[in-house]
Amino acid sequence: MDLREDTAGDVLILEVKGRIDSATAPALGERLTALLTGAGRRLVLDLAQLEYISSAGFRVLLLAGKRADAGDSRLVLCGVSGKVRQLFDIGGFLDLFSITASREEGIASVR
Amino acid sequence: MTTVERVVANDTGGLEEVARLVDELAAAHALPSGAVTDMQVALDEVLTNIVQYAHSDGGAHDIRVRLTVSPEVFEAEVEDDGRPFDPLTLPPPDLRGALADRAVGGLGIHFVRRLMTEVRYTHVNNRNRLVLTKRLRDQMEAESRGSS
Repeated sequence: MDLREDTAGDVLILEVKGRIDSATAPALGERLTALLTGAGRRLVLDLAQLEYISSAGFRVLLLAGKRADAGDSRLVLCGVSGKVRQLFDIGGFLDLFSITASREEGIASVR
Repeated sequence: MTTVERVVANDTGGLEEVARLVDELAAAHALPSGAVTDMQVALDEVLTNIVQYAHSDGGAHDIRVRLTVSPEVFEAEVEDDGRPFDPLTLPPPDLRGALADRAVGGLGIHFVRRLMTEVRYTHVNNRNRLVLTKRLRDQMEAESRGSS
């Protein structure tokens, strides 16, 4: 798993490449916690280059979602397609997060 | 038919070793990527459960993983010496509810059941044995439909 950070004005973008499994999920969790610490954060999580995600990764995303809600921050996911979308569907997560097709739409929606 | 077997430790390094082994086997046999991903996720779930819950002594234990590829199926047999546990007896997770109410307990085995064609559990010689089977023919048909 590779993490890449970018900004668009006051919006943070975290791009995840590769695999989120039980070996890599903790590093993603630490990064998300850091980026969502404080109130009013705006974060787009770009999963377009994600190969797959297991339940260890979904646990981290759930915690990030709860942290965002608690801190009055906004978290949007984008690039959820193909196999990754199927995994979101199987886990019942498609309705749980705000998901946009593209990064640009994600940035616009958290502003 | 090709079979590879590996004994790995019950830690993160062991999990990564199995993931690499799956990648190598998949590349050598040009397995359909969807089936490989499903197997990677299923093995991550099964091995993570063993690492986290199978042993109460906190010590090092071996996990034996045997991968088999044939023209029909991609199969993984996972054996551990932890407490007897049949994950197929777990109730399905509750996938409803808002973010604040959602738990992830039971989600791993739910993924395994949904991603694999068949999952079998036996307890043999004081060891848990879980066999994960992914039919390859179905997968190749699904992927060729998807790309046409």
